[in-house]
Amino acid sequence: MAEPIKSGWLVTRQKNSPSSIEKMLSRIFLLFENIIKVPLFRCQRCGECILSHTAFVCSQRCPKRLRNGPCGGTGKGGTCEVYPERKCIWCLIYRRAQLYRRILLLNRIEKIHNWKLEKTSAWLNVFNKRIESPTWFFRRKK
Amino acid sequence: MCSIKGSNLPHGSSGEKSSMRLLQKIEEGRFIFTAELGPPKSSNGNVIKKKSKHFRDIVDGVNITDNQTAIVRLSSIASAKILLDEGLEPIVQMTCRDRNRLALQSDILGMAALEIENVLCLTGDHQRFGNHPEAKNVFDLDSIQLIATAKGLGEGYFLCGDPIKTPPTLCIGGAANPFAEPLEFRILRLEKKIRVGAHFIQTQPVFDLLRFERWMKLVREAGLDKRVAILAGVMPVKSARALQYMEKEVPGMSIAKDIMQRMSKAGDAKEEGIKIAIETIRQLRTVKGIQGIHLMPLLWESITPRIAEESGLLDRKLQTTINHQAGGKNE
Repeated sequence: MAEPIKSGWLVTRQKNSPSSIEKMLSRIFLLFENIIKVPLFRCQRCGECILSHTAFVCSQRCPKRLRNGPCGGTGKGGTCEVYPERKCIWCLIYRRAQLYRRILLLNRIEKIHNWKLEKTSAWLNVFNKRIESPTWFFRRKK
Repeated sequence: MCSIKGSNLPHGSSGEKSSMRLLQKIEEGRFIFTAELGPPKSSNGNVIKKKSKHFRDIVDGVNITDNQTAIVRLSSIASAKILLDEGLEPIVQMTCRDRNRLALQSDILGMAALEIENVLCLTGDHQRFGNHPEAKNVFDLDSIQLIATAKGLGEGYFLCGDPIKTPPTLCIGGAANPFAEPLEFRILRLEKKIRVGAHFIQTQPVFDLLRFERWMKLVREAGLDKRVAILAGVMPVKSARALQYMEKEVPGMSIAKDIMQRMSKAGDAKEEGIKIAIETIRQLRTVKGIQGIHLMPLLWESITPRIAEESGLLDRKLQTTINHQAGGKNE
């Protein structure tokens, strides 16, 4: 899974700004997304969903909002360094990924978060090809 | 990387040393010794000049911490410039806690303009630990993305894809914590850092050799030691209390029981701390795949020459082959 090293590969670019119809649609979509994703995954509404890559645990619950793996501060037993009473979200992701056999997807290098997409509908963003579509199935090579 | 195998080049004069850059040394596969320096909590640049005396002609690079543990200190780039003028090779630590993508890129360019080329990309401690816990954190990028950004800058383009007329020359480093959970994920993350362009990796201080060797074994199995220079962290501690504090308060730290016992039983704790550090360095040098030592004398910079001498790091220039060339076969 070699990443393409070419200029601008690390950022998602929004070429055209959303139209007024899209903004309205986004609101409706977001409503549905909030109803489903917030209770299920404790979605943080980043608008750039990588749930399918992180074994369906929202990585944005991390206090540092890391998208590429845990920071160096995970304590003994997998506690968060910032809030020791919490579990490190990346430990949870790793355990889930083992369970679902989706470790290979953790190898991806996630792009830098596009803050323009914050609090927009990720589903609509996928539809509009602003962000990558979720990876449901992939070939597990051994 | 590290393609040139050891040769019997005569080294020793300090003049020759200063002309050689860290990146070159890494690529030649030499054994690297770096140390860490904490800038003062004041505007007094002379403190850095004074501390730099302990490192001269001993280390290959000096890390300058960037508001370590989220406590405000003198800027790391400014300190690096002072060190550079003193004739040492600084490694600027850059954290994502305080800067967004604009500031990070501009700081890297600024660093390069001052002829500082080594940058250690870190995510950074959370501000909750520091003296400004009410601050707004940034974490716009994470350390992997920062390494990729630095690599991109070196190749001549900004994050957005715009070209740079004069791209900076950079030697990019990353950090790894072999002691934090989950162990396998650490390897995965290390691989990501190497994939996006890290030249060297510095680890957290080793107080638990067994765990470190377990991690190192996984690193070798993944073949990562051949793709990057791994510098193992060593920290001399002054007292048993400091060690206990670290185990309790510093997250992601693992301290072996026998080291803890030795420190608490020792009559002269400082002496015992030095002894432990020296022993750790000696043992680490026998671990396959290690290409260097990173010493973190926390506010105890004056001990560096003694540790370097007694652990045999001063004649490392003779030891140009890294042990990972032999390492693969014995596995």
